[in-house]
Amino acid sequence: MAAPTGTDASLAAKPDETSSQSTTSPNSSPSARKLPPPESRESLLLRRLSILSFWVLVLFVGLPIWLKTTAIYRAELPLQEMTDWAEGKVCKPVFPLRIAVEAPVSIPDAHHLLRTTQHALDDINDFSAHHLRLMLADSPLQSNASQQVITDGTGIMSNDRDVALAIRLIPVETGTTPRSHLQPYTPMLDVYYSPNQIPSQSSTGSTLATFLAQELHNIFAEEQAQLVHLLSASSGAHAAKIKALSPETSAELQRQSTRVLKYAPTYHLTFSLFTPSYAPSAWDIETALQSYMSPLLDAFSAISNFTVDTQVQLYATFAPSIHQPEYDEEKKTWILHKEDLSGFVNAAEWPLSPSIGEGPTVNFILYVPDRTQSPLLIKENAGNSWLIPQWGGVHILNLQGEPDTPSALTADMLAPAMHTFSNQLISLFGLPQSPASLPLRLSTLERVRAASLIFSASSTLGALAQVYQKLPSIPVPDNVAQSTHRTIAHLQQACDFLRDGRFPSALEHARSAEVEAEKAFFERSMVGQVYFPDEHKVAVYLPLLGPIAVPLIMAALKELKSVFKRG
Amino acid sequence: MKFSTTLLPLLTAAAPFAASEHTSNWAVLVSTSRFWFNYRHLANVLSLYRTVKRLGIPDSQIILMLPDDMACNPRNAFPGTVYNNADRALDLYGDNIEVDYRGYEVTVENFIRLMTDRVGEDMPRSKRLMTDERSNILVYMTGHGGNEFLKFQDAEEISAFDLADAFGQMWEKKRYHEILFMIDTCQANTMYSKFYSPNILATGSSEIDQSSYSHHADNDVGVAVIDRYTYYNLEFLETQVRDPTSKLTLGDLFDSYDESKIHSHPGFRYDLFEGGEAAARDRKVMDFFGNVQNVEVEGRNETGWIRDGAGLVKVSKPEPHGETVINRSEHKATQSLRKDGAWKVEEEQGWKKQVYGAAALVGCAGIWLAGSWLESI
Repeated sequence: MAAPTGTDASLAAKPDETSSQSTTSPNSSPSARKLPPPESRESLLLRRLSILSFWVLVLFVGLPIWLKTTAIYRAELPLQEMTDWAEGKVCKPVFPLRIAVEAPVSIPDAHHLLRTTQHALDDINDFSAHHLRLMLADSPLQSNASQQVITDGTGIMSNDRDVALAIRLIPVETGTTPRSHLQPYTPMLDVYYSPNQIPSQSSTGSTLATFLAQELHNIFAEEQAQLVHLLSASSGAHAAKIKALSPETSAELQRQSTRVLKYAPTYHLTFSLFTPSYAPSAWDIETALQSYMSPLLDAFSAISNFTVDTQVQLYATFAPSIHQPEYDEEKKTWILHKEDLSGFVNAAEWPLSPSIGEGPTVNFILYVPDRTQSPLLIKENAGNSWLIPQWGGVHILNLQGEPDTPSALTADMLAPAMHTFSNQLISLFGLPQSPASLPLRLSTLERVRAASLIFSASSTLGALAQVYQKLPSIPVPDNVAQSTHRTIAHLQQACDFLRDGRFPSALEHARSAEVEAEKAFFERSMVGQVYFPDEHKVAVYLPLLGPIAVPLIMAALKELKSVFKRG
Repeated sequence: MKFSTTLLPLLTAAAPFAASEHTSNWAVLVSTSRFWFNYRHLANVLSLYRTVKRLGIPDSQIILMLPDDMACNPRNAFPGTVYNNADRALDLYGDNIEVDYRGYEVTVENFIRLMTDRVGEDMPRSKRLMTDERSNILVYMTGHGGNEFLKFQDAEEISAFDLADAFGQMWEKKRYHEILFMIDTCQANTMYSKFYSPNILATGSSEIDQSSYSHHADNDVGVAVIDRYTYYNLEFLETQVRDPTSKLTLGDLFDSYDESKIHSHPGFRYDLFEGGEAAARDRKVMDFFGNVQNVEVEGRNETGWIRDGAGLVKVSKPEPHGETVINRSEHKATQSLRKDGAWKVEEEQGWKKQVYGAAALVGCAGIWLAGSWLESI
C-alpha cells in the first residue's frame, strides 16, 4: 500500500513544482522531483504474481469455459461411408431368384434338363442383376421312390419361403405339349409335356428347355422392367450398365411411379360416403370392408400395415369454381367432363384429411348423387370412377331401379364400389399387372420395395452427409451418429439378404434402415442456430469482454515493459 | 470450363427425372409482423390463402402462419373480419379458415423447423410440410424487411442465409420438385439473393434500397389494407386465372407487373431453375397456385380373385416354418385391431379418493399440531 500513497503525494505536489520550474529554468535540478520510494522486492513479486494469476485464470479457466459453452457439438459421422452408400458404391442390388423344378424323371435326366434350361435362360436374359437360378426340388414323391437324397446342395424344398416360383413338370399324353398353367393363388407353374420331350443326355437343346426358359422369361418380364427402371432412376452409377427400356415401357413405368404411393410403414385408409342430401345416411361399410377389403389388406400386410376409418358426410356440395354436371338429353344422364374431375373433390369443404394416426392417408370417396342428378357419369368413357395418383380414388354410386334414395346402403349395394376401391388400392400400391399369379406379384412388389427402400435410405444418408459438411453451424447430437450406424448396418444386411435371395428378410431390414435414416436426418435438435454475421458477434462480445480485457492487457504490457527496462 | 464438362453427364442423366411432373402442391404462406398497423400484411397473406384454396389446394396442404389476429383486434371496427380492399366486398376471414401457426408460434425457428420438417413427434400432421420430390411448393412471405433480412414479430429476424440453407436442406432430402418463392417486403429482392439450391424460381417486390408500398387505406378500418405488389398479383390471379383449368403461365403473371403501379421494381431470379428463364416462364400458374390431380379414368379390373377370399388369405399367410423373429412379429401385427374413435372419460366417484384426501388433510393437521406442541415446550 505504500506505492499508491506515494503516487498521490507526487501528483499533489506536481502542479506547484511544474509551475515554479517553468518560470525559472526547466533543466535546473531534476533531482528535486519527488520520486516514490523504491518498491520492495516482495511487493514487486506480489504484484507480478497477482497479474499472472489473473492471466492464468483467464487463459486456463475462462477461455476453455467460453469455448466449451459456445461450441456446437457435432458427433462424428462416417461421412465417407455415407457418401459411398448414396453413390451406390457399396451395394449393387442383385436379385437371384430361386426356381424349384419338380421333375418326375430320373435324377441325371432332371439335372440335364435343368442345365439346358438354365443355359437357354441365361442366353435370353439381358439384365444381369436379375438372375433366375433353377434348382431341383426334393419332391417327396421322388425321394421316396429312389431314396437318393441330393447332397450337392442344389436341391431345395419346393415349399421353402425363399423359393420364388416352383415349376411342376407333369407328363401328359393328350393336348398340345408343352403347355403351361400358372396357378393363381400359389407360386406354382404347371408345365405339361409329353415324355419324349425330355432331352436325352447327349442332346444340347430341346423344345421343352426352350419353352421353359421362354415361359420364365415372360413371367418375370414386368418385374425386370420395373427393377431396371428403378435402378436407372435411383443411382447414376448403375445406369450405364443396365439395358435401356423401350420408350413406351419407360413412359408407362414413369406414369406408374407418379401414381404409386410413397412407401410408408403404415397407411391410413379413409372410406368416406358423401351425399348432397340427407340420404343415404348410413352404410353397411363394416361388412363390405370385411368381405372385400380385408383379404387384400391381409395380402399386403407383409409389406405395410394399414389402419382404416370411415365417415359419412351429408349435404356435401361441389366447389363453386368447378363446372357443375350437365344433363345429356340423348343418353338421359348427367355428365362430368374429364378435365373437371380434378376439381370434383371439394378439398376446401369436405373434411378429408384427418390429421390422426401415423402414415399418409389414402382416401376412397363414395359419392351418391342426388336423385335429381342421377345417373351421374363421366362423359369420356361413361364410367363412374377415377383414380387420383398418390391420393386415392372416387366412385360415383348411381342407384338405379330404386324409387327413392335409400336411407341406408347395404353391403350388396356397396359391392361395385368396393371392387373399384380394391382395384384402385392395388394400382396405388404399385402391384404389377402381370403375371397372373398373385403370390408372384406380391413377391415382385416385395423385391421392388426392398430395392427402392435401400435406395431411399442410402440417399437420405447422402443428404445427411451433405448437410453435415455444408452447414457447420448445426449441432449434431450423438443419437444421430447412432442412428446412422444402425442405418448402415441394416442396409448392409438388407443388401446381403438380397444377394442371398432372401427377399422378405431383405425387405424387413430395408424398412428398418429407412426408419433409422429418417430418424437421423430429421433429428429434432438439428436446427442450425440462426445465422450471425461477424459484426453481430463483435457487437455481442465487445461490451462484455472489452472492460475485462483492457486492464488485463495494459497491466501485462506495463509489467513486461518494466521487466525489459530493468533487464 | 472444366467444371461444366464434369457436370454435363450428371445433368443429362438427371434430365428425364427432373422433367417429370409433380403430383402434389403445397403452399406456405407467412406473415411475419404483428400489431394493428400491420393489418395489411395479414390481409396480404389471407388474400393469397383464399386464392390458392379457390384454385384447389386443400387446407391440409396449406401452411398458414399468422402472427396476430386482426379479426379479433379491439381496434377493428368490423369485428371478425379482415378485408383487403376499401370496398369491403370480400371478407377474407370467412367461416372456413385454418391457421396453422398463430401468434407467438410464428418464429424463425418454427419456420425453419417447418421447412426442414425437424419437428417433434407430437406435432400434428396439419402443421407439417410433408412434401416429397414430386411436390411443388409456393412460399409466400410478407412483413417488414431490409437488406438480406426479414423481421419476425419485431423480435427476431431471418436472414437470406438462413432461408437459403433451409431450402438447401430441403433439396438434399428431396423435399421438393420446384419452389416458387414470392416475397413482398422492403428490399425484398435481397432475400433470395443467397439461394443456391436448384429448381427455385424467386420473385420479390422491390430492389435493394427500395421500399415496398401499401396500395390504399380503408378510412373506416383506419389502416392500409394491402400492399401494392400483392394487390397486383391478386388482380391477375383473380381476374385471369378464373378456374383450375387455366393455362396461363408464370411469364404472363410476371409480365402483368406494372412498375409504375407497383412503385418499385419487382425482381425475378431464374438462374437456379432448370432450363433457365424460358422454362421458368413457361410453368403454368396452376403448377404453383393450384392443385394438380391428373386423374386416371381407366382403371384396372382384376378383382375377380378377391371373391375367392379363402384362397387369398391362405396365400398371404404361408405356413410359418423356421422363420425369424421378425416374421413372427409381423404376423402378430397383421391381426387387425378395432379401435373406438373416441373414449368417454368416466369421472371416478369412489370413496377411495376421498379417503386419501381426508387422510392427507389429517396428516397435515397432525404435523402442524406436533410442530406447535414442540415449539411450546
